[in-house]
Amino acid sequence: MNELSTPPLAPQPDRTQPARTVRRRNRRRATSLFAHGEPMVWLTGGALGLCLVMITGLLGLVLSRGLPTFWPVPVLELTTHSGERIGGEVALVEAFRPEPEASSEGAPAARPELEERRMLRTGNYDLTGVHFRWVPEREVASERAPEWILTIERLEWGRFFGTPTALDCDGVRTEGEPAQVWQAFEAAHRAARETWRERRAIETNDIGAAAKIKEQARLAIRDAQLRYGARSSEAEAVRQQMTTRVAQADAELARAGEQVERLKALNTGRTITLTTVDGVQSVIALDQIVRAFPANRLSWSDKLGVYASRVREFLFDEPRESNSEGGVFPAIFGTVLMTLIMSILVVPFGVLAALYLREYARPGPLVSAVRIAINNLAGVPSIVFGVFGVGFFCYWIGAGIDELFFAAKLPSPTYGKGGLLWAALTLALLTLPVVIVPTEEALAAVPRSMREGSYACGATKWQTIWRIVLPRAMPGIMTGMILALARGAGEVAPLMLVGASKLAAELPLDGTFPYLHPERSFMHLGFHIYDLGFQSQNSEAAKPMVYTTTLLLIALVVVLNLIAIWVRARLRRRFQGAQL
Amino acid sequence: MPRLPRLLRTLAALLVAASPLLAQNKIAVDEKLTPYVKSADGVSGSVKSIGSDTMNNLMTLWQQGFKEHYPNVVLEVEGKGSSTAPPALVAGTASFGPMSRPMKDKELAEFEKVHGYKPVGLNAAIDMLAVYVHKDNPIRSLTLQQVDAIFSKSRNGGLDKDIVTWGDLGLTGEWASKPIALYGRNSASGTYGYFKEHALFGGDFKDSVSEQAGSSSVVQSVATDKFAMGYSGIGYITADVRAVPLAEKAGAEPIAATPENAYSGEYPLARFLLVYVNHKPGSQLDPLRREFVRYMFSRDGQLVVVKDGYYPVPARVASQALKSVGLEASKQPL
Repeated sequence: MNELSTPPLAPQPDRTQPARTVRRRNRRRATSLFAHGEPMVWLTGGALGLCLVMITGLLGLVLSRGLPTFWPVPVLELTTHSGERIGGEVALVEAFRPEPEASSEGAPAARPELEERRMLRTGNYDLTGVHFRWVPEREVASERAPEWILTIERLEWGRFFGTPTALDCDGVRTEGEPAQVWQAFEAAHRAARETWRERRAIETNDIGAAAKIKEQARLAIRDAQLRYGARSSEAEAVRQQMTTRVAQADAELARAGEQVERLKALNTGRTITLTTVDGVQSVIALDQIVRAFPANRLSWSDKLGVYASRVREFLFDEPRESNSEGGVFPAIFGTVLMTLIMSILVVPFGVLAALYLREYARPGPLVSAVRIAINNLAGVPSIVFGVFGVGFFCYWIGAGIDELFFAAKLPSPTYGKGGLLWAALTLALLTLPVVIVPTEEALAAVPRSMREGSYACGATKWQTIWRIVLPRAMPGIMTGMILALARGAGEVAPLMLVGASKLAAELPLDGTFPYLHPERSFMHLGFHIYDLGFQSQNSEAAKPMVYTTTLLLIALVVVLNLIAIWVRARLRRRFQGAQL
Repeated sequence: MPRLPRLLRTLAALLVAASPLLAQNKIAVDEKLTPYVKSADGVSGSVKSIGSDTMNNLMTLWQQGFKEHYPNVVLEVEGKGSSTAPPALVAGTASFGPMSRPMKDKELAEFEKVHGYKPVGLNAAIDMLAVYVHKDNPIRSLTLQQVDAIFSKSRNGGLDKDIVTWGDLGLTGEWASKPIALYGRNSASGTYGYFKEHALFGGDFKDSVSEQAGSSSVVQSVATDKFAMGYSGIGYITADVRAVPLAEKAGAEPIAATPENAYSGEYPLARFLLVYVNHKPGSQLDPLRREFVRYMFSRDGQLVVVKDGYYPVPARVASQALKSVGLEASKQPL
């Protein structure tokens, strides 16, 4: 800023030669604020400042709301004047003015004083049917933090708060002091979860593979029937052939099923009995418990441990309870994969188009029109691309592909619905101008002398482009790609139409042939945020998750960009070295 | 919450201890519904559902529960509004079309034109549309006619005066002069259609009703605006809002949005949540859809309904639904 403002500010004493009138005018101009440029400095500086305030404000909000989400908080037990006991984590505190008629009995209807109330996350949804509850301060007779109350995060039904009274593990019952039960719990819980994980692995790997073979067999038979007729000998042959495979798969299924049953039986005897603050007893199976801790006994390092464990779950686990709990791993995976496929699609196309426009096309009204059209494409609302994508890719091309190659699966569509490929293609269209425009500029910036030098050496046009122009334009092309990445990763509206889904049980990239499954729907962080914020049933619990997921999405975009910037810097260095 | 007598509480505790299936003492699943029995032939493939966003979570929870039994099944849920279900079923892009209202004749005809038969709608859960107000709102009850005059500009309910402020509803003090801020669903939603049909008597919404993209956002809007009113499914209730008891007409008893009143049919805005399937009459559903339907109407499936805040269907309704797609309820266990 200083550099900008100094030259006009300093009057120039050396120039005393010109006539008086000119000097006076000069002086007048020098004294005017505009001549100093100061208002402009303030305006531009102010605009920058405002931008920074808004950005830091947004980031600050997301950080301040998103980071504490996983921090364990103590569990309180409140006793009301009517003797009811309510237990839970304090989620919110707010001041409110109670309604006169609701509050006072016989007292004059004066404007009541402000009072406080706390929102408790009471958990125990299976017992009470509510997740959260407001408790006005005036109704609270006493409160305490029970030492041994456990915060239990379950696979289903949300959190549970209760004091342990007994633990059953493999026929051994531990009863008595909560401390003893807790001690026994930790080891038993680990064992139960281990068994559960083992069961999960069998279910997803062994059973999954066998069932897939059966499904393939069914489809093969159906395919043969469609092709040769239901009663033809060919179809019969295929059926015969498949029967053995199905029998094998069945045997495998039976074996895996037995194993699963065995593991299930192993875990049925492992339970913990807890008493809630209002005296209700509840039995919870140990393998259903994701995490448990005595919230009021945690030291700082314990809390950090819980925090880390929750963050790990958030980043690497699958979502549970219709996405309001558990992790977002499939969404992270889907976002990254979709963005990468999109950039693989859009960058070559964009660069080729820009090359033609800049290097081959003869400038004229047609080229100008095309250029204007491309620039305008950047201004088309993204949802329009979504509508185009669903109409053109899914319902037209996709349905055509299904009829040609996946007739056996019909009426369930394979490609004729939203999927990873269609989403990537739609976003590629959307980001096409973002790639073309900087690429064109980068191509234009390559000095004419270099091309001429190349031609003078006898190189053809393409050789010149390939060897001379493109390498020098590379940083510009990378800039376009970075912009496209950022735009693509953050876009949600078109994805809602062409393939992002609330829950996609299978990752679009996995170990089964052909490894990448472009027809599968995928989860996307942006869509996940929308879903958590506006659709979840337990919206109070979902709200902090919204901020956390937002934080994650921002971080992801930053990381993708940093990688691209690093690549660009490397390219630039190499190019500069070549120039010297 | 009323305090349960000690005996009842102990009883509840015993029940809870006895069986995790009975863990709900608030809303109980019909005893006659049988637990889901895994099909002997392994099921695989992919299930895609497109439709109601009111049922978005429900479908997701069902699918997650179903996956417990068939870990290899690929499941996908898309919920952008009930109106998106019929086109998806017609085009065959979805195997299930959850809808929070019955299909309109036009949508049925559209389906019939392509497939030659009508889709089957399964009554999979019971929902109540609740009129929500902020938790500090002192209003005790509303009549349907008042609701109509609040939300509708045509006032087919018969009230001759428009209701704009809380004072028009009889509230005093600071409320009297405050206008009612209205929140509702967007027109693709079945909730919108159902509310229009049953609470507005077919009339038109006022332009001032702010249309929200999700059922949950209606509730959140009401939660943050003290002078707001909105309608949404009962499953989305939070501690920040209150469901107002509704009376059929002036002078009638106001009915609270409780499960008992939903089952007895007294609550005026109770409805079935439907799941539509493409089922050719007389044919067999493919194994995957068959098992999913059987799961939905099993005890486990209906327990999921409870978990999502809706009310499970009675066994009678469940067996009817199963019969309509050529299935039978599994036998009563011993």
